[in-house]
Amino acid sequence: MPARYLVAVVGRRDYGCASELVCEVPDDFRPHPGQFVHVACGGDGRILRRPFSVFDRGEGTASILVREAGEGSSWLKRRGPGDRLDILGPLGRGFDLCAEGGRLLVAGGAGIAPLRFLAKRLLEEGETCLVAWGMGEAAEYGVLPDVLKKEADVRLACLDGSGGHAGSAVDLAMQLDRESAGQVYACGPREMLLSLAARMEEVDREGLARLQVSVEERMACGVGVCRGCAVPVAEPPGAYRAACSDGPVFRGDELDWMRMAALT
Amino acid sequence: MDAHGGVDLRVEISGISLQNPVLACSGTFGNGREMSAWMDIRRLGGVMTKAVTLDPCAGNPPPRVWETPSGMLNAIGLENKGLERFLEEDLPWLHDMGVPVWVNVAGFTAAEYVEVAREVSRAKIASALELNISCPNVKKGGLHFSADESEAERLVSAVKGAVDIPVYVKLSPRTGDLRGFAGAMVRAGADGISLINTMPAMAVDVETARPRLGNLTGGLSGPAIHPVAVQMVWEVAQEVDVPIIGMGGIWGWRDAVEMLMVGADAVAVGTLNFTDPTATLGVVEGIAAFMRRKGYRRVGELVDLARRGRSGAAG
Ligand SMILES: Cc1cc2nc3c(=O)[nH]c(=O)nc-3n(C[C@H](O)[C@H](O)[C@H](O)COP(=O)(O)OP(=O)(O)OC[C@H]3O[C@@H](n4cnc5c(N)ncnc54)[C@H](O)[C@@H]3O)c2cc1C
Ligand SMILES: Cc1cc2nc3c(=O)[nH]c(=O)nc-3n(C[C@H](O)[C@H](O)[C@H](O)COP(=O)(O)O)c2cc1C
Repeated sequence: MPARYLVAVVGRRDYGCASELVCEVPDDFRPHPGQFVHVACGGDGRILRRPFSVFDRGEGTASILVREAGEGSSWLKRRGPGDRLDILGPLGRGFDLCAEGGRLLVAGGAGIAPLRFLAKRLLEEGETCLVAWGMGEAAEYGVLPDVLKKEADVRLACLDGSGGHAGSAVDLAMQLDRESAGQVYACGPREMLLSLAARMEEVDREGLARLQVSVEERMACGVGVCRGCAVPVAEPPGAYRAACSDGPVFRGDELDWMRMAALT
Repeated sequence: MDAHGGVDLRVEISGISLQNPVLACSGTFGNGREMSAWMDIRRLGGVMTKAVTLDPCAGNPPPRVWETPSGMLNAIGLENKGLERFLEEDLPWLHDMGVPVWVNVAGFTAAEYVEVAREVSRAKIASALELNISCPNVKKGGLHFSADESEAERLVSAVKGAVDIPVYVKLSPRTGDLRGFAGAMVRAGADGISLINTMPAMAVDVETARPRLGNLTGGLSGPAIHPVAVQMVWEVAQEVDVPIIGMGGIWGWRDAVEMLMVGADAVAVGTLNFTDPTATLGVVEGIAAFMRRKGYRRVGELVDLARRGRSGAAG
């Protein structure tokens, strides 16, 4: 059950443009990979919470990975031990883990957050997975790629060619696999999701049904009442679903990609 | 006397008994179901539903929300599943909660408003209607009625002729002659007035020169509009003698008490629900604590106090 928690920050690890905030959480805080927490990000006239995916759940702790994107995330990224965070969560519909065949995880930038948690869960359950993580340049997330490579099979794609595959995460993912993956999980900028969806559709007719994406949409309430975070869906035609409560994870064939493309 | 330590929070407006003067604003509380995961909605004074239109409404293209200093813009565009499903799924559920319900009615034509109002009234389980003639986010209907007093009057009397439950009219902060308009609504049959809806507003991303909202413009809510709402309630209270539900940027018990003191009989909490889904109950507790501290025993003693010129304890 989601609830409001006032949690103590017990650790902070800086990884380049992002920081991991480790918080003490009670036992009843049981996030599923892909779910998020809605975090109050200080005062200064900021009245809405900010959504952050659960990045990890350890012994008595849970963490988020915060990339600086504006004033609220910049305030949040500077929190550390001694601070408390006001969070609502865990919220939303996460990834569906039950699938056959291999798993391919495709992350763009801070979109690695929910996929790292997913990879950990999959490995704990004895499944295998392959992670393609794209970023601008190899140094962008500090030593985080090295940390994650110790946990899972993580391959980097850097747009500027400074490390791993020279190019996008989608290109890398499509090279690595694409026919054999029973399920492709993705989180990242909308353009990345659009190009991945297009490539999956090329593979076969069921391509989109094997894709699960976590979408980012501007949110207000985070609990499904304001209808602010609208995502265009295929059925019924012209309709929207709420990213916060119907998502943030959607199956590729649930979304209306034509209207998604028109948004950017 | 009750759970609030000697103070009586009950109010009665338009023959409807509320256990306390705090309601949830239309569009900020869904139709109660989602919020019931966070709080006991039976402890509210009342719930004002999300706007109901005759046909299902998909709403506006995203982005639909944008945060501004101490406020937010929204252009949801009346997304709702339409009258039929509202009557089947949501209204009975709210009724079973035992909480008074104001059904927020919207339409794209006057005939649609009347039909929705008639069917809701016929269901016999809604406490009252709130006519949303002040939504800034739809091209037809909505705010259009706030701009034309005689059209609004005709709408109110047509609705009144079709229903047998109290009708509240929700006013926009963009109303030219506010007092004249409120008076005209009452003469046309309005049983109560609620105010304020969001203020028409806009924001643009200067990097791309594109408006922040898919609908281009939207409505401003939150603390930024609170003083505007206080002044408007103050003015309307001097004009009409029907009950007033005051809303607009209520961000805690103090803002709610302020609203009562300028003449609101009850208040409704809106955008604050997004920040804290349990906030309404905190406002109820805060009002009770304030009344205990100041020695007030009934909510009515606070209503209009700013005009009556009393500042100390009631006795
Ligand atoms: C389900 C979900 C999970 C997310 N997980 C992460 C994560 O794990 N790590 C991470 O670094 N970021 C994540 N984001 C993006 C993060 O929420 C935004 O970067 C953050 O809200 C920006 O706030 P700001 O005040 O810094 O920026 P501003 O641009 O000043 O924010 C203004 C408003 O826009 C909203 N907003 C701005 N950017 C976004 C965005 N990309 N998506 C949604 N709302 C936005 C803010 O919430 C705020 O209400 C996630 C977004 C969603 C929807
Ligand atoms: C996201 C959102 C949706 C809203 N939807 C409606 C609606 O459907 N009908 C209506 O009459 N008012 C609607 N409103 C206006 C509120 O009911 C309220 O009048 C306004 O937001 C001012 O109060 P606040 O500042 O406390 O939010 C909406 C407001 C918001 C923020």
